[in-house]
Amino acid sequence: MDPTKLTISELGQLLRDRELSAQELLVLHLDRIEDADGDVKAYLRLTESLAGEQARAADATLKAGEAGPLTGIPMAVKDVLCVRGVETTAGSQILRGFRPPYTGTAVQRLFDAGAVMIGVTNCDEFAMGSSTENSGYFPTHNPWNLDRVPGGSSGGSAAAVAAGEAVFGLGTDTGGSIRQPAALCGVVGMKPTYGRVSRYGLIAFASSLDQIGPFTRSVDDCALVLEAMAGHDPLDATSADRPNDVRHDLKAGVNGMRLGVPKEYFEVAGMEDGVKVAVNQALRMLESAGAKLVDVSLPHTDYGLAAYYIIAPAECSSNLARFDGVKYGMSDQEAQNITDAYSRTRRRGFGTEVRRRVMLGTYALSSGYYDAYYVKAQKVRTLIKRDFDEAFTKCDAIVSATSPTVAFPIGSKTQDPLSMYLCDVLTLGGNLAGLPGVSIPCGMSQGLPVGLQVLAPQWREDIALRVARAYEIASDMRVEVALVG
Amino acid sequence: MLARLGLEPGDEEFYAEQLSGILRHIDRLQQLNTDHIAPTAQVVEVTNALREDVPRPSLTQEDAIANAPASVDGFLRVPSIQEES
Repeated sequence: MDPTKLTISELGQLLRDRELSAQELLVLHLDRIEDADGDVKAYLRLTESLAGEQARAADATLKAGEAGPLTGIPMAVKDVLCVRGVETTAGSQILRGFRPPYTGTAVQRLFDAGAVMIGVTNCDEFAMGSSTENSGYFPTHNPWNLDRVPGGSSGGSAAAVAAGEAVFGLGTDTGGSIRQPAALCGVVGMKPTYGRVSRYGLIAFASSLDQIGPFTRSVDDCALVLEAMAGHDPLDATSADRPNDVRHDLKAGVNGMRLGVPKEYFEVAGMEDGVKVAVNQALRMLESAGAKLVDVSLPHTDYGLAAYYIIAPAECSSNLARFDGVKYGMSDQEAQNITDAYSRTRRRGFGTEVRRRVMLGTYALSSGYYDAYYVKAQKVRTLIKRDFDEAFTKCDAIVSATSPTVAFPIGSKTQDPLSMYLCDVLTLGGNLAGLPGVSIPCGMSQGLPVGLQVLAPQWREDIALRVARAYEIASDMRVEVALVG
Repeated sequence: MLARLGLEPGDEEFYAEQLSGILRHIDRLQQLNTDHIAPTAQVVEVTNALREDVPRPSLTQEDAIANAPASVDGFLRVPSIQEES
């Protein structure tokens, strides 16, 4: 079996049995990238010398018999996570050349666990988008069909895992930016509970919504990577001090579990029949595995997108004020005075979608509109959270499609921002309510992968993963690597 | 102006049209009565996280300005912030 198609658990065994060294595994992946990434364009930059160093260290750990589950495993890191000395740009020209002076907590914990960072992956600029077409560099292509988008914003990491260019990847999810590309690329992706993983070292988009999470080829792998990143960090005051129990009872199955089926999530605009068929089939399989399907309602679903597109732009307009050409990144040195310098730098550095959201957010926060837009959206956020609280009194987890559509053609939504925003209509509720959610492949439609989303109550990653794992077993699902290249 | 995006002629019309469409969608929020609903700014039950106010090691001055587009003697250099009188 080609090692670039295996899971972390399978490779861990080969590494520990000394059938393969970490350095060999790295070379196999670099070869695979050489073959496939010219088409897929998942990576913005490779970090070969760092990877070589980490692979050598991993081999020493393996030799000493001290290896953990992630020792020597190649990973792809989204271009929003700071790594000391490695150019990190948030997919934006405005940060071109920025080399962070420190490494963020989530990545550092994976380094400490022995993972090997192979490169920096493409994303929508500042993680704003659902297709990776808003990257300030180039679009990434879906490994299953190169004319299609990989989803976004973490499309590079999803595509890398789907194409055998990394064993696992890191993404961030503010409105669906891990789960949606995982669905569109046919891999497993998870957004943890808000506060489960430290955001220290994450270039902020919308701070009350952002979470870091993994892309993997199995639910077991997803749980392993999440467990390694999770836990309280004094450097992120919103990270929670709670037991790291995300893998608790992972293999317990769904017998007797109540899975909520929200009718509103099956009636959203643009829901494709092929997606509905695949998801319904998955639900029947979970039922055969012993779960009980119950109808639940999320009555404010139709308002989620509107609330999200006030709150996220408002937070981003504030967060992105720091990109002023003074401290790092692009800078216009021709300006005559400081305000001119800000405007000229930001004009050159920010792409269309980022400018659009900064305008929207600045407008929503401006005096006179603050109550009508921002406060109103925050109140609707309360209603949406209550919908989930109410639903979780009737069920243990909520199941639906991750995305209403399969991967769409590159260029098909770029002229109409609202149509792009609608890609996240089934995922952004989880961000507004702070819930953990996992997307797992559940079949194909039009030759492209479909994703099943499992949402659980806050801090119950264990439940979401347990349901996903039960589906994986019941359906005999195995994430396949696309044969591009 | 507020966001210092350096808009140029033509930009306003381009964004105005798209933003109007987005704002029309957002206007549906006004259908909901939220008179007695408290706003949510932060969604999980983590209360104020406090720590001892003691000095700890941090970035060196050299590291902190290593990415600066322009610096002089360990300081960030910026264009004039006031007109000469």
